[in-house]
Amino acid sequence: MTVATTNTPLLERQYARLGALLIAPTIVVFSLVIVYPLLAAIYLSLFSIYTPTLEGDFVGFANYWDLLSGREFWNSLRVTLVWTVGTLSLQIVLGVGMALLLHQNIWFRSLARSLVLFPYFLSTVVAVLVWRWLFNDLYGAMNHGLMQLGILDMPLDWLGSMPNAMIGVILVGAWKYFPFVVIAVLARLQTIPDHLYEAARIDGAGPIARFWDVTLPQLRSVLVVIILLRAIWDFKEFDLIYLLTGGGPVTSTQTLSLLVYQEAFALNQMGQAAAYSVGMMLVMLVFMLVYLRKTGGR
Amino acid sequence: MADVTLKNVRKSFGTFTALENLDIEIRSGEFVALLGPSGCGKSTTLRMLAGLEFPSAGEISIDGRVVNDVAPGKRDIAMVFQSYALYPHMTVGQNIAYPLRKRGVPKDERAAAVQKAAELLQLEPLLDRKPAQLSGGQQQRVALGRALVREPKVFLLDEPLSNLDAKLRSYMRAELIELHRRLGKTMVYVTHDQLEAMTMADRIAVMHGGRLQQFDTPDAVYNRPANRFVASFIGTPSMNQIEGTLAGDTFTRGAMTVPLDRARFAAEDGPCVMGVRPEAVTIGTGHVAATIRLVENTGHELIVSLALEDGTRLLSRVEAGRRLSIGQTVQITFEPDAIHLFAPEDDGARLNTDEDASVIPMRSH
Amino acid sequence: MSLPSSMLRKIVLNFVTWSLVAVIAFPLFWMIVTSLKPQSELFRIPPTWLPETITFEHYWRLLTETPFLRYFRNSVVLATTTTVFVVLLGTLGAYSLVRFKFRGRETLAMLVLFTYLLPSVVLIIPLYLMMVEIGLSNTLLSLILAHTTFALPYALWLLRSFMEGIPEDLESAALVDGATRMGAFRDVILPQLLPGIISTALFTFILSWNEYLYALVLVNSDSVAPLTTGVMSMLISAFNIEWSLLMAASVMMSLPLIVVFAFLQSYLTRGFGAGGVKG
Repeated sequence: MTVATTNTPLLERQYARLGALLIAPTIVVFSLVIVYPLLAAIYLSLFSIYTPTLEGDFVGFANYWDLLSGREFWNSLRVTLVWTVGTLSLQIVLGVGMALLLHQNIWFRSLARSLVLFPYFLSTVVAVLVWRWLFNDLYGAMNHGLMQLGILDMPLDWLGSMPNAMIGVILVGAWKYFPFVVIAVLARLQTIPDHLYEAARIDGAGPIARFWDVTLPQLRSVLVVIILLRAIWDFKEFDLIYLLTGGGPVTSTQTLSLLVYQEAFALNQMGQAAAYSVGMMLVMLVFMLVYLRKTGGR
Repeated sequence: MADVTLKNVRKSFGTFTALENLDIEIRSGEFVALLGPSGCGKSTTLRMLAGLEFPSAGEISIDGRVVNDVAPGKRDIAMVFQSYALYPHMTVGQNIAYPLRKRGVPKDERAAAVQKAAELLQLEPLLDRKPAQLSGGQQQRVALGRALVREPKVFLLDEPLSNLDAKLRSYMRAELIELHRRLGKTMVYVTHDQLEAMTMADRIAVMHGGRLQQFDTPDAVYNRPANRFVASFIGTPSMNQIEGTLAGDTFTRGAMTVPLDRARFAAEDGPCVMGVRPEAVTIGTGHVAATIRLVENTGHELIVSLALEDGTRLLSRVEAGRRLSIGQTVQITFEPDAIHLFAPEDDGARLNTDEDASVIPMRSH
Repeated sequence: MSLPSSMLRKIVLNFVTWSLVAVIAFPLFWMIVTSLKPQSELFRIPPTWLPETITFEHYWRLLTETPFLRYFRNSVVLATTTTVFVVLLGTLGAYSLVRFKFRGRETLAMLVLFTYLLPSVVLIIPLYLMMVEIGLSNTLLSLILAHTTFALPYALWLLRSFMEGIPEDLESAALVDGATRMGAFRDVILPQLLPGIISTALFTFILSWNEYLYALVLVNSDSVAPLTTGVMSMLISAFNIEWSLLMAASVMMSLPLIVVFAFLQSYLTRGFGAGGVKG
């Protein structure tokens, strides 16, 4: 591969050409819709562009200066981290717990699995519509249900005030995305050999000891991958939060994705938005590098 | 006439050289085993013959035609894989017919050829099954059937028996020998099992570390191993190799001296290695004292582990029924005609002069 | 002695599990219930947990009086085209990435993974400008192209790991048996890859069907809007929100998903195993 190709066998050269030919369409599409826009985003971040006219001037690093000195980016970063950590921890706890339960021999197990998995594949639009209806302050099932159970004594404004809005968003996020954890953990649970449990039982380990000493260590590697993947995906989540709260009240649930969108298409500052998106990407790069390190590209 | 030739072949993967200076000439109709430990390059050699890997240098020819640039399917070869590589979505019949289909053989001819191969391998009742429904031995037969259906010039077999259990393996070994006799086709057979190589092959190419060590008949490989590696790799238990010094008519190690007939060796005085097969170490008489450390009874013979006075370990094979006890001190003899001398390096060459004309020294430059 | 205690344990386990499942599935239940309630029952305080009267009037209105069917058609065209395009490219690409050696192969595989994790908002501004520039804004084609930004890396990644699961010996055997590389691909690899392709296609379809952000930015004419933005606009534009109608739309919008769940669920779980969460 590193040597000059003059004495590479004919067949090998033909195969290499065929291989390049097969990947060529993918590379073309990739460059067109991913690589070019990515570079363009960085380029655009050096301009001040007014969205409706798409006219702009070169401003150098001014957008980045605004990013660093202004409050918006840092506020959104903080909001994003609160949302990510909150929803991710809920997803993991719920997901692992549910996976352990579904791994047991319960009645109608496959039906239970289907019902649990369903939210993950549901359109975010549908999920948000249903939850906004559930959260409705006058007629919502959430408030009335909790009141009938005696947990609340008066209706709550779920999405319109803080900290309820953040809690609501985190809850819906956990509900929508925890099935991912369930499926991944379930798949791993099925590969834990029975003899490990038998050995632990012979050694006198009770169910709780077996969980800590057998199950959890076996799940560790898959959990690391799940946490990293979900952290990346939760960090960049747009649809769910935008549709539930629009970033409000005011900017209290405005994550970085929402900030970029609003800067570009509500405040019409496309260059500044591009700078925000580049900043966001740099933060994400940290997660990505850890993920690539951990999985080695698997 | 040489049917398969490798001329000065080298294969490297990046900076790692898997094979070097490989020269092999296989005669038409010959059954050749490529034998060696894993990583010795034997499978790479076979895959290069098949056209699945490409030599970095050198020339490969089949039936007089250089095939370096010929696609696998056009080399007139057939291959049996260790994993059998049966197409899971095709029936047994479709699997066997596939090579013919790819060559545009008309349908009725195809059916007749499949029928013939199935008869030969007793696969007729299985033709409509899928590979997943077959036992390991049956899958093995299908793989053979797919290989022989189009009557290729050369058969390449990559450890075809290694996934079978011991009993089935020895049965299939006999079957393959019979098949080779009946078809009379050239077969190149990769294995790490010396028993397979010794029992089946006309000639064995012993490989180690990407180099050919010796290419000769089973008899020659066993009795006249080219170097220390071949001597230790062929034969169970391995040949005893004792490091010592050659001076005049004696080989000395510590307190032990062994008289030698210098005319049998082309060796100079100095450090060298004496090799004696366990069956040539006789217990009872002689002037070398040894202590018995372990006796393993295999039923028809005893494998006796001995220690010389300086602690050097030796193995001896004696007939079953001998009364030998652990800790006992015995006198041993090395049969003079069965003594080999080797140069002292790890891959030291054999220094005996008894090579007859048919044995070509295969170490090339 | 141990029989009753193990029975008790089983009952407790089932009770706990099914209670949790019920809580998780409640929003789905509530969606269906709401869509079947007459308007008069909807605004009862406290709400009726099971509908007293069942009506399909909302479904009827949805199909006859709203542009729902047009949105649905747009979504079908969008998701199907994206899926076919992406799976076709991805299958060939994955074959190349797994079974061919060429310079930059590893780098390319890393790039695929990187883009698979890239946030859409980074690409959306330049993509928006690009679509305006080449006159594709407000077309389904612009959405198809935009959807490839996430669907292609995803499909390529899934297919790559499915492809890796096919023994290389099979292809070698086909080559020795006389097939060309592409012949071996067609005769041996493709049939083996089929479950993986189906799985990838389902995932891609669902991703594209559910996508919202690109549709929001790239399409603002109602005639080419897919379901996601279309149904949301029904929520936003209405003077008073008709929840029953929206819930009926939600159920209808989830229809393809329900079909997949009922008949092809194993392909979805299989895709998960391949999708980088092998651990």
